[in-house]
Order: sequence, then structure tokens, then C-alpha cells
Amino acid sequence: MKFTTKLYASIGFILLLISISVVILMNMLEQSIVKMNVVVNELYERIDIASEIKYETANIGREFREATADPENGNNREALNAWEESNLKIKQGIESLKELDTQEKSLDLMEQYTTLHDSYQDMVQQVMVWQKMDGKVDSQAVMVDEIKLTRNRMLQTAQLLLGLQEQEMKNELLRSRDTYNWAVTSIYIYLAISLSLGIGLIIWIIRSMTKNLNKVTTVMNSAGNSNGNDLPRIEIVSNDEIGSIAAAFNAMVSELEAHSKLEKHLLEEAEEHGWLKTKIAEIATMYPEAKDIQMLGESFISKLVPIVDASFGVFYLKSENEAQPYLKRIAAYAFSNQFKASEGFYIGEGLVGQCALEKQAILLTQVPEDYISIRSGTGEGSPRNIIILPVQLEGEVLAVIEIASFHAFTSSQVKLLEEINSTLGMAINSMLNHMRAERLLQESQALTEELQVQSEELQLQQEELRTTNEKLEEQYTASEQKKKELEKVREALEEKAQQLEISSQYKSEFLANMSHELRTPLNSLLILARILSENEEGNLSKKQEEYTRTIYTSGNDLLLLINDILDLAKIESGKLEVISKEVDLYDVQDYLSKQFSPIASQKDIQFNVQLEPNVSNYLYTDEQCLKQILKNLLSNAFKFTESGSVSLQVRKVRTEYIEKQMPVSTQAEYMLAFSVIDTGIGVPTEKQRVIFDAFKQADGTTSRKYGGTGLGLSISREMASVLGGFIELTSEVGKGSNFTLYLPILQSSEILEANSYIEEAAAGLEYEDYSLNEKSEVDDEGSRINEEGKSSLKHKKVLIVDDDIRNVYALTIALEKYEMDIIVAENGREGIEMLQGNPDTDIVLMDIMMPEMDGFEAMRRIRQLPKYQTLPIIALTAKAMKQSREECLDAGATDYISKPIDIDQLFSLMHVWLYRKEG
Amino acid sequence: MKNTIIQDQGSVQVQEIERIEIELLLEAIYRYYGYDFRNYAQSFLQRRILHRVRNENLKSVSALQEKLLRNPEIMKRLFSDLSINVTEMFRDPAFFQSFRKNIVPFVKDYPDIRIWHVGCSTGEEVYSMAILLHEEGIYEKAKIWATDINPKTLEQAKKGTFSLANMQLYTKNYMEAGGIRAFSEYYKVVGEQVVFHPFLQKNIMFAEHNLVTDSSFNEFDIIICRNVLIYFNKSLQNDVHQLFYESLSLSGFIGLGKREGIRFTSHGNCYEEIDSTEKLYRKYK
Repeated sequence: MKFTTKLYASIGFILLLISISVVILMNMLEQSIVKMNVVVNELYERIDIASEIKYETANIGREFREATADPENGNNREALNAWEESNLKIKQGIESLKELDTQEKSLDLMEQYTTLHDSYQDMVQQVMVWQKMDGKVDSQAVMVDEIKLTRNRMLQTAQLLLGLQEQEMKNELLRSRDTYNWAVTSIYIYLAISLSLGIGLIIWIIRSMTKNLNKVTTVMNSAGNSNGNDLPRIEIVSNDEIGSIAAAFNAMVSELEAHSKLEKHLLEEAEEHGWLKTKIAEIATMYPEAKDIQMLGESFISKLVPIVDASFGVFYLKSENEAQPYLKRIAAYAFSNQFKASEGFYIGEGLVGQCALEKQAILLTQVPEDYISIRSGTGEGSPRNIIILPVQLEGEVLAVIEIASFHAFTSSQVKLLEEINSTLGMAINSMLNHMRAERLLQESQALTEELQVQSEELQLQQEELRTTNEKLEEQYTASEQKKKELEKVREALEEKAQQLEISSQYKSEFLANMSHELRTPLNSLLILARILSENEEGNLSKKQEEYTRTIYTSGNDLLLLINDILDLAKIESGKLEVISKEVDLYDVQDYLSKQFSPIASQKDIQFNVQLEPNVSNYLYTDEQCLKQILKNLLSNAFKFTESGSVSLQVRKVRTEYIEKQMPVSTQAEYMLAFSVIDTGIGVPTEKQRVIFDAFKQADGTTSRKYGGTGLGLSISREMASVLGGFIELTSEVGKGSNFTLYLPILQSSEILEANSYIEEAAAGLEYEDYSLNEKSEVDDEGSRINEEGKSSLKHKKVLIVDDDIRNVYALTIALEKYEMDIIVAENGREGIEMLQGNPDTDIVLMDIMMPEMDGFEAMRRIRQLPKYQTLPIIALTAKAMKQSREECLDAGATDYISKPIDIDQLFSLMHVWLYRKEG
Repeated sequence: MKNTIIQDQGSVQVQEIERIEIELLLEAIYRYYGYDFRNYAQSFLQRRILHRVRNENLKSVSALQEKLLRNPEIMKRLFSDLSINVTEMFRDPAFFQSFRKNIVPFVKDYPDIRIWHVGCSTGEEVYSMAILLHEEGIYEKAKIWATDINPKTLEQAKKGTFSLANMQLYTKNYMEAGGIRAFSEYYKVVGEQVVFHPFLQKNIMFAEHNLVTDSSFNEFDIIICRNVLIYFNKSLQNDVHQLFYESLSLSGFIGLGKREGIRFTSHGNCYEEIDSTEKLYRKYK
């Protein structure tokens, strides 16, 4: 039976029971209502009628008395009428009661009452008639009593009747109560039965339903716990919904089982795939670590063999042996000496060769036991399964792998081996390519290095050749020259001998002329100036007189200067004639005393000349020079001394006692010291060196105050050195100075040697004070220019392009010292014009900041001219900025130097760029 | 046909004999004079030795060996044949420019910078380096050890005096190398010679050092070894690289010649490239 049917049936049944019970209850209620109606309507009416009968019965008695009591009066009539009416009512009552009450007892009583009533009426009629006839009642007293008695009996009967009716009512009430009680009881019973029936039915249905459901649940639970295979089935017992659930479940379980089987299968496949991939990746990661094919093979085979649970492996690489493709063993796993023979195979040789030939894997199972044996410390065994695989790339076999295992190879292992083979093919290929490239690179590296070596060697050889060449040439020219020179010297000697006289004559003539030519006009100038200044005619104003005096003194100064310059020129050009002879020092003393005593007395200064006792009277030297030096020193002393004393002391000292580092070495044991000591203004320490330089005085203002050319000390120093001595100065500002002239006490022969040494010393170059940014101002300008340097710049044409005339002037002065030919342009445009006018220009000094055309533009223009593309152009840059330098180079400058220009640096630079130009 | 084959064989034999003779000569030099040229590049040795053989008017290498063992003058001559002193100031200017750009910023903040200039020859490149460091403001804290195998060239290097003849080229090189002042500020011409400012020598120590026989003597931040290793064979090159590796501080720099390289040497993987064309490398492991 189906669930729906069961549910419909049980619920329908319960509804039926309920409706039956409702019908019964309704029925009972109707019955009880009918009974109540009977009780209320019928019985009550019967009681009412019976009580009216009784009431009327009582009435007729009273009315009869009234009617009879006074027959004459009116009331009598009325009473009679009432009486008549009551009688009627009694009759009617009895009639209706008879209809209603059918009980025998009541009928009997009513019969009795009717009889009594009839009799009562008859008697009353008689009485009435009597009364009317006689008018008296008393006569009828017996009759009246009789009436009375009947009436009482009637009353009694009515009373019984009423009682009977009431009794009836009471019975009826009892009866309806019984009916009610029965109805209640029967309802209870009925309810109990239907309730128990309903409950039973429900229990039965629920139980029958849950039992099946539990069964299904249990099976389902067990299915959930089971692992997906062999799921339990539900036995289908019923045809109902549970049955169909069970059927559906069974179907589902079958599906599940099939699905899980499939899933398991897929999982296994995925696992295998994953394993493959990991292993492949594991091996692939090893490829890049390999440095060469050997290493690749080794690490590959040692990794691969354990992965496939094998115990032996060999890696053969295809190479060439005697121009034949040959599979060479390059790596092995668990290798042992017994395989020594199998160092390699030719294609087609053995199984390995065959495999390479066929390009297909060869799988051997169940090989004989003694085929190969693998040993370990504890024993040995023979792998029974061998696989030989070709490693290919694009159809070409690159290598062959042989692997042996104790176990049979599983399909996944075989698959792994195949998969790995393809990646290995690529790895081998790229490795081979890489090695090839590496080898080529190394070769090319070696070749470039070799090239460098050879180029350097060549350079060296070239250098060597050049040097040898130069030497040879030099030697050749030297010998040629020597020959010529010898010839020349011989000729020259002859000529010299002739010319000597003439030239010395010329020289002295020239000097004499020179001094004459200069002095003559100057003298006339001086004389005229003096005459004018005397103003004898008195026609000059005081001012004009002053002017002419100035002309005179200035001219005098000029004259002195010219003399000094001539002296200095003579000394520097070596034209000073030194005529050494015995000089009487007392003569010198006399001469000086005569010269300076007047000045001393004029200036009120003490003056004396002392010769110490140990000084010999004579000195071998040039008298003129000695006198001039001492004169210069003394006039200096007087010039700078306002008061106090000036003295000249002459003493003899041992050479070694002289403190000062000797500028020249002398072989003389003793020296004569001429000390000129004054009490004048003195010379500051830092100026003590400078004052010996030409045109230098201790203070720029000194010359204005004291006059003089500043050449005196220079001349003195030069002369002293020509005489083989020197001048030393010790001085203190404000206290005075001590100029000491040292002269060697020499034999006549020694003087010549000393002179030659001086020349050598002068030729050497002082290079100690060299510092990068400081300009050595102290250096004597003259000593910088050495003869060699001079020669490489000599007669070179330099173009200075600069608008700053001070700069041009300074450069010109400096360059003229080197005897360079200088041409000047004031701006770029002029510079180019000048250059075109002077195609033999050797070097250009180009200022950058100029009006009209600046240095950049000028250089660019010059470089555009094919002729001047290699002409050295030195840019003079004002700014020490890298950028402007680069701009210079871009514009075509060869080098640059920054302003203010260090002359030394400029000369070095010019030497560099004028090198080779001399040929 | 036959003749040429015989001739070929003959020349092969001559070559073989020459090879043996050279080996013996080198062995003899090593044992007698202590100079080890045995691992110099074969072709170079061959050329230089044959050059000497010719210049001495000899017939064979063996003859040279005989003379050389008895006459130290000839050894001196061969020695100078074998020490090639081709150098320039700011040689390969791009190298110095790259040095300025790529290495100076690294070492600028070092408290002191130790530089080993290997194979300094007559010193041109050492002075160039000093000028560069001076211009970068780090010369004061730099110390340059300039070494060479040849005492003669070292003597020359110590003078700091070079021929005027090459100065035009040097000036160009200086400019191309990124010089930031005037090159003429550093020198002074004295006759045919150019004297470099003495301050440039202040932090340079010239010393004799033989790469083949001498070992590491300090740890350096920078090693400059340009066009020295090209004269060596592979195995000696690797030995010298081992020496350099030991002498270089971690993350120290090494500069090689324009045509050299570090990649194919034994320590190629210990250096990272700073400038591949100018061959500047940095040690990193």
C-alpha cells in the first residue's frame, strides 16, 4: 500500500468516526428537546387545565351561594351568569383534558367528575326553579345541602385530577433525566472507541513508514563510510516511495562506484604524469649546471639511473673515430672494469650501435644471468632487464643510453626514459653548440691577444729600427760634420787670427761709438739744461727753473743708467775684459778715500777704510772691476745712510770658515773679504736676494726717495763672480747693512779654471722650485732660458690673436727672449687674414673672448682651410671650466692653456707642439 | 710532388728541432739566470728568440744558447727583447675614461686606495693614473705600487721624464681620456725631454716584481695589468690570475688590456663585468 493511500485512509477513517459521533449527538439532542417539549407544553397544559377545573369548581360554589342568597336583587343574576360561565369552563376543561390525557386513571376520575358535575347542575336547576316558584330558598335547604355535598366531591375529584397531572409531570422529568444520562455515557464510550481506533491506525502507519526509512538510512550511512568501492545496496522490499528511493539510491551507488573507479584511474594517471614531470624537471635543472658534455653525461647518468630504480647505466656520445661515426662511452653508473671492452661502438655494431641505427629503443628482458654483474661490497647480482635508448634531436641520434635493472621496467619508467631522452637531446645539442662557441671564442681571444703581442712587437721593432736609423744617420752626419768642422776650424783659426785684431777693434769701436753716440747728445742736453736752470738772464719763472733742473737731474740719471747698462751688457755677453794683475790694495784704499771723503763730510757721516794687518799688500785681480764693485757698494751705503758711519774693512779669511754656501767652488785656501758696513736703513730679510736682481730695489718707493737705477748691485754681483768671488749681505732693518765682497787669493793660473767652471754652472737648469700653481717669481728670468730650449723655438713664427694689448705685450716680451718671430692680430677675423698673409706661421696662440670674431669661430674657420688643418692652435681660455675647454677642442684647438698664463707652462706647451717641426 | 713533401717534412722537422732548442734555451736561462720564460706564449718566444739569433749573426738557437750562457751581455739583450715596453700615456683613452666613470665613484669614499700597476714598463700609464686620481681629488689617499720585471725600465719610470716626441699624442690621449685641466699643467719641457711634476711621484712606489716567480705582496683595491698577460701561455695566465685573485680585496677591481679578457681564465666566474669593452671587472666571490 502506498503512503498516500495509507494517509488518505487513516485520515478519512478518523473523519468518519467524528462525523458519526456528531450525528449521534445531534440525534440525542433532538430527542431530549422533544421530550422537553412534551414536558413543558403538554404536561404543563394538563396541569393548567386541571388546576382551572379545580378553581372553577371552587367558584361555582361561591357563585351559587350568591345567586341563591339574594334572589331578588341584581347581583343575583350576575352571579348566576358567572356560575353558568364557570360551569361552561368546567365542561370545556374536562373536554380538553380528555383529549390530552389518555390515561385510564385520569379518564376514570374525569368520568367521575363529569357525573358529579351533571348531578350538581341538575340539583342547582331544581333549586333555581323552586326559588323562582316560591322565592324562597329555605324550603329547599335539603337540596342545598345536597348541592353542597356534590360540589365538595367535585372539588375532591378535581383535586385528585390535578395531583395525577403533577405526578405525571414528575415522572416525565425523571424519564428525560435518564435519557440524558444514557446519551452522555454512550458518547463517552463512542469517543473512547474511535480514539483508540485512530491512535492504533496512526501508530501502525508511522511504524510501517519509519521502519523502511531506517533501513534506507543505515545503508546510506554505511555507503558514506565506505571508500567508494563496493558500496552496499538497499534490498527493495516495498513498492512504495521508500522502495523507489532505494532503487534510486542503488542506481546512484552504481554510478558512484563507476565514477570513483574512473577517478582512481585518472588520479593514478596524474600521479604518474606528475612523477614523470618532476623527474624530468629534476634532470632538466641539472643541464645548465653542466660545464661541458662530459660533466653533462656524468651528472645525467648518475641522476637518471636511481630514478628508474636501475642499478647500472652507460652514456655513449656520438663522436667521430677515424672519420666514422662512433658512439663513445663518456659516462657510466656503477661502472666496473669488466666493461672495459665496451668503450664504444660504431653505428650498427652491437645492440648499442643497432639502437643508434634503428633510432628505436631496445628492451631486453630475462637476459642470461652472466650477461652483466653488478657488484657492491656485500655481494653481486645480475640485472635481468636492459633498456637501450637512442637520444635524438630532429631525427638525428646524438647519444645512446644503456640502463640495466634488477626489476622489470614499468611502463611509466619507460615513458620517463623516453621523455627525458627528448630533453636530453636538446641539452646535448645546446651543450655541443655552446662548447663549440666557447672554443671559437677562446680561439678568437687567443688570436686577438696574439695580434696585440705582434702589434706591440712591431711597434717596438719600429722603434728599434728608428733608433738604429737615427743613430746611423747621426753617426754619419756626425762624422761628416766632424770632418767639415775640422776643416772649418782650421780655416776659422786662420781667419780668426786675422780677424781677431779687427774684431776687437770693431768691438771697442762700437762700444766707444755707442757710448759716444749716446753720451754726446745727452751731454749737450745736460749742459743746456744746467745753463737754463741757472737762469742768468732771469727770464724763467721759478716753476720753469724747477723743470729745467728736473731735466738736468733726470738726464744725469739716464747717463748713469746708460753707463751701467753698458757695463752689465759687457759682463753678460762675456765681453768684459778682465785684466788680472797685481793690485796694490793701498792704492785702492787711497782711491776710495778720495772718492768718498767729500760725500762723508757733506752728509756728516764717519767714513774710514781699514786694512787688517794680516792682509798682504797685493791681490791678483782686475783692478778696475775691484774698484767699481767697492765704489758701487760704498755709494749704495752712503745713499741709504742718513747718519752714523760707513766703513770698509779688508781682512783675510780661510775659505772653509765662510758660512754661506758658496755659489762657486774655489780652490783658493784663503779669501779676501771687503766688508762695507753702514748704519743706514737696512734691507729686510725677504728682500735680500731680490736687490741683486737688475732694476730691483728693496722697496718700490726706494728709488723715488734715493734715486739710482738699481743696476749697481747686479753689476757688482756679476763682476764679483767674474772675478771668482761673490757678495754676501747681512742686514737688519733700521740698523744697517754689511755687504761683503769675497775674492779668492789666487795664483794667476787658477783664475782661468775658475772662470770656465762658472760657465758650466750657468748652463745647468734649475728645476727644483717647480710647483704646479705657484709661479716662481724669484727665478731670474734670464736663467730660465737655456740655450737648447731657445733653439727649438728660435725663428719660429707665432701668431698671437688677442685683443688685450697688455696680454699681447707680455707675451711678446716673453717670446722675444726666445727669438721667436711674432705677429699679432686683434681679433679672429684679423687673425685669419694675418694667417693667410703669413703661410709659414708655425703656431697660433688664440684668445677666446674677442670682439668681432671670437676664438671659437676663428678656429673653426681656420680648420676649414685645408692648409691649416694640422697647424697647432693653442687656445687661451679665461675660464678654468671644463666645458669651455671642450668647446675649444670641438672648435679645433690643438691644446689649451688657461689665463693668467704661466709663461713656463706656455713654453713647455709650445715646445711640445713645435716638436718635429724643426725637421 | 715528392720533393715538396720531403721539403714539408723537412720544415716540420726544423720546426720541431727549433721548438726543442727553444725549450732547452729557456730551461738554461731559468737555471742559470733565474728568469723564467718557460711559460711565455710560444709564438712570441719563437719570434723574439729568432730575432735575437739573427741580430747576433748566429745560425741556430743552440748557438745562441751557447753564447748566452757565457756572455751575460747577450742575456741582457735577449731579456730586453723579451720585455716589450710599448706604452703610452693614457694608452687607450677610453679605458681611462671608463675608469673615471665606473670605478672612481666606487672607490671615492675609501679611506685609502691601494692600486697595483702590474707591468708598468717605463711608467707612462702609472703617471697617467696619478694624474687621473689627482683630477678626481683622490690622489692624496691613493697608493700605487708600480711593478715590472725589468729594472732598467723601472729606473726610467722613476725619473718621470719622457721624450718630447710623443707628447702630442699624449696630449690628445689625455683629452680623450676626459682630462679636466690642461695637460701642460703637469709637465715642463727641458730640452728634448718632458719632466713631469714631481708631486705625481709622491704616492707611487716603483718595485721589481716577477709575475712568474714572485708571490702576492699586499691586498689591493685595484689591479691594473694591461697587455702583460698576452705574452704568457694559458697555464701561466691562469697562475697569474690566481695571484691577482689572491691579491685583490673582495669587490676589488681589475683592469686588463683592450684585447684581453677574463672570461676564459681559471677565475673567470669570480668577476663581474663593469665595462666589457674596456675590460674592467669586479671581484665578487
